[in-house]
Amino acid sequence: MKKLIPIFLILLTLTLCACSSTTYSEGFYAMNTYMSVTVNCPESKKVVKDAKNTIMDLDKTLSAFNKNSDIYKLNKNRSADISVETADLLKDAVNYNKLTNGAFNPALLQVTKLWGFPDNKYRIPSEKEINEALKTAVPDKIEINGYKVSLNQEGEEVDLGGIAKGYASQKLTDNFKNMGVESALINLGGNVQTIGTKEDGNPWLVAIKHPEPGKQYLGQLKVKDLAVVSSGAYERNFRKNGKTYGHIINPETGYPAESGLLSTTVIYKDAVFADAMSTALYVMGEKDALKFWADSKKNFDIILYNNKGELLVSEGIAENFTADIKYKVVKKSDYE
Amino acid sequence: MNKRDIIAIVLVTILSAAGFLYFSLNHTSGSTVKITVGGKEIGSYPLESDKKIKVKTENGFNTVEIKKGKVSVKDADCRDKYCVSQGEIESGSIICLPHKVVVGITSDKSAPDAVAH
Repeated sequence: MKKLIPIFLILLTLTLCACSSTTYSEGFYAMNTYMSVTVNCPESKKVVKDAKNTIMDLDKTLSAFNKNSDIYKLNKNRSADISVETADLLKDAVNYNKLTNGAFNPALLQVTKLWGFPDNKYRIPSEKEINEALKTAVPDKIEINGYKVSLNQEGEEVDLGGIAKGYASQKLTDNFKNMGVESALINLGGNVQTIGTKEDGNPWLVAIKHPEPGKQYLGQLKVKDLAVVSSGAYERNFRKNGKTYGHIINPETGYPAESGLLSTTVIYKDAVFADAMSTALYVMGEKDALKFWADSKKNFDIILYNNKGELLVSEGIAENFTADIKYKVVKKSDYE
Repeated sequence: MNKRDIIAIVLVTILSAAGFLYFSLNHTSGSTVKITVGGKEIGSYPLESDKKIKVKTENGFNTVEIKKGKVSVKDADCRDKYCVSQGEIESGSIICLPHKVVVGITSDKSAPDAVAH
């Protein structure tokens, strides 16, 4: 018995260490993608479980395809009383449409449906169909008064899919900060947001996926308290007659955006903005994207990769960026 | 064996199982085995893939084996063979003082925490 006591004590210590551990991570599926939330804090398990529930609830209200959602109700009834939260997010989406001169458009659902992107039943629509569907995509005509929303353009259908993940991520971030969480990593299907630093005090390391097949990363970023959101057509697309059609639609043409950019990343403190802007920059193409970035009052950073294999990294984030491939640091003053 | 011994054995078993589960569940992938001689890195290898490395130094050799996520020094011609006697490790390091060889396991700092896509 006496011989067993030291072993007993060692094992007890190990087990107690396990109980006081404060890191908890959980992966789950929501918003049609795989998500994971990692939190370092006391009661981290509860914090993560609550976060998961928050996302599940948002998925239910924001999805354009859930028959009980605010957005479904609005698209179906043309005018509806929805939650203030959804109405506010729709308002943000409409504002981003104006801000990006139409490059981000939350009213393109009729067009993306034509191409079969929402249900993965891909087809190439006729030009006539596209032009008809494009006529419905007029975000300016959406009327939002508190929780009362009306779609005034005939046939118009809204879809917050372009910013829902960013919104969910930002909501979790705000919740975590209010709770005093100082270290967390939110990864909603590749929309990454970091709170504080890692448990060991080092910044989080976020890699940017390389858009070309067989290649791993464009590079890696050291970040804290920032959202990193990438857009590209390299994951959701279909091939027909030797041509690849990506899921990001150019709202001007109604066709998949082919701007010459293969991957756009926006790094900013606000994930909703980063989510909308990464899509918008992808649609704009390199020249307009750089101009937009340089002219913006918001101090966000960008990483662009084009079809010539050139990688551009904005000056604000350059010193925290590393890559195996060559890249050029871009300055706002060069594009204003 | 009396009753208290049995209780103790049962408790120890449960606790070791709990401890094992904790460490195996929290085992981070992407760890690296780094070998240095006299402070100079001569190679680093992923802990995940099995490998046998013969480290040759001015003073002699050490044979390092990476197997199933564990590292050991299988053989060496140093005088005390203390490195060999340390057996398999999953974290920390094995040091051969006579040959100035350090075999250390580090969690890979270069592995990203997340990938934006």
